Amino acid sequence: MVTNTRTPLRTDRLRTLNVPHPVRVEIDERGRPVTVGDHYCPQEDDDGRAETSGGDGGPPPCQRIEEIIEIWRIDDEWWRTPISRRYVDVVLEGGGHVVLFEDLTTGQWFVQMP
Amino acid sequence: MTVQSGKGIESISAVCLWIPIFSLRCEEHRRPELMRRPTALLSPTDSRRLWQISAVARHTGVRPGMTVSQAIGLCPSLTLCEPDPVHYDEAFTQLLLTLESVSPVVEPVELGRVFVGMDGLEGLFGGPVSQLETIARVLEPSSSPVSHRPLSSSWAAAARLGWAHGKFTAWVAATRARPGTPIIVSDAERIAFLADQPVAVLPISSDTHRRLRQLELETLADVARLPETALISQFGVEGKRAWQLAVGFTLDPVVGRERPEPIVMGLDFPDPVADRTMLAHALSKLIERALSHPQRVGWRVQSARVRAKLEHSASWLTEVTLKDPSADCARIAAPLNVRLEQNPPMGAVEHLAVEFLSFARGTNELQLFARDATSAARAGQRRALHAAAHEIKDRFKRPLLYHVVEVQPWSRIPERRYALIDFEP
Repeated sequence: MVTNTRTPLRTDRLRTLNVPHPVRVEIDERGRPVTVGDHYCPQEDDDGRAETSGGDGGPPPCQRIEEIIEIWRIDDEWWRTPISRRYVDVVLEGGGHVVLFEDLTTGQWFVQMP
Repeated sequence: MTVQSGKGIESISAVCLWIPIFSLRCEEHRRPELMRRPTALLSPTDSRRLWQISAVARHTGVRPGMTVSQAIGLCPSLTLCEPDPVHYDEAFTQLLLTLESVSPVVEPVELGRVFVGMDGLEGLFGGPVSQLETIARVLEPSSSPVSHRPLSSSWAAAARLGWAHGKFTAWVAATRARPGTPIIVSDAERIAFLADQPVAVLPISSDTHRRLRQLELETLADVARLPETALISQFGVEGKRAWQLAVGFTLDPVVGRERPEPIVMGLDFPDPVADRTMLAHALSKLIERALSHPQRVGWRVQSARVRAKLEHSASWLTEVTLKDPSADCARIAAPLNVRLEQNPPMGAVEHLAVEFLSFARGTNELQLFARDATSAARAGQRRALHAAAHEIKDRFKRPLLYHVVEVQPWSRIPERRYALIDFEP
């Protein structure tokens, strides 16, 4: 990470980083993720917005979850747009490390970097 | 047509004075016997390689950058000289001071290459021909009606002079001129003159030169025929500058050097002092005070003078020129203390004064020769990073480099921990 240069923070020019992307997750009988698949490689377009198009090879195949490191739940911002998420920090088959979360209001799963 | 503006005195009318292999010529002036021999100057950074070579040595096949063993193999009688950068710098400084007697607008570029601004001097020296004759005259060591600082050696036989509007055209003219036969490029001829020149005259990187050759662009006319956007998309900022120079859009002015006024600090003694230790101490204090003068910030002291008023209306004066300009009290005081020891005042001192007479820039030079190599490297990296960021912005019309900034690094919601912000050096 770049050292803080004490440049004034221009919040109007901030761009989001590590935007969550929708993903298909298979869960076991206890509700724990077992496989992750059909998630699209996060790429940013010229304006810095995340694209959801696949790369040259299309969507990657399903990957088995090798280990669950941590599970936590967030219920926040009930006073405006409520956030209710169940996070699962996982290690994928092959060593990839990602964070999955289930949006408990819609049931949709998302993936992002830890 | 664009005219760049900037701080300091500027002049669009430019004379470029170019003395090729300046450092080697300094050696030849010091040791005239070298002029007839094949001679080479060793590189200041790598003593196993050659830096500058004489015309006689070139005829034997010796080239700059060769190793000493290669060169000796080609020319067994080659005379090798150790470089003496301080001497070359002093000689160049003397040349600049001499040129300042012609025009106040003098811009050195590198050893042996300097631009002289001639705007507003027509009334004094006449047209371009007379201006060039005046400059050629002050390059002679004999005293001239113009120069108050005659040179110790003659550069007239080696100097190539070009006159034009804008530094680039003046430089190209100087490279095409022969010693004693300057080239004048009037404004009407400028574009046609530039069109015939090879792309090698463009001040761009060797990589860009190589790519231009691969694209079979041989003259500035070839470059000027292309659309500006094509050059920018291929070469970025360099391409833009190359195109503007090739079509003659850029009239880059000569920018005169800022010269601070002398700084004087004096001290009256209530009782006349003859003790040398006390005088040395007072001298040191005066140098410290002069160094802390706000006018001195950003400059290193090149020459200093000490004056003393003695009892019975006598006086004493000594002056030193530092080989390495300095802003360090001890370094400035040392040669003055030596003078004080060797040639002390002939009586007790009532008033002592220190004058800083001339200065050298204290920024780039200090970075280049910084004792702290790490800080110099950091400065170089910063410059490279800034140049790359500007080039990307120029090419894509918007910044595509970002800082990662912490927003809520403690957050349990990962996308809120960090964000991106435009990187604008």
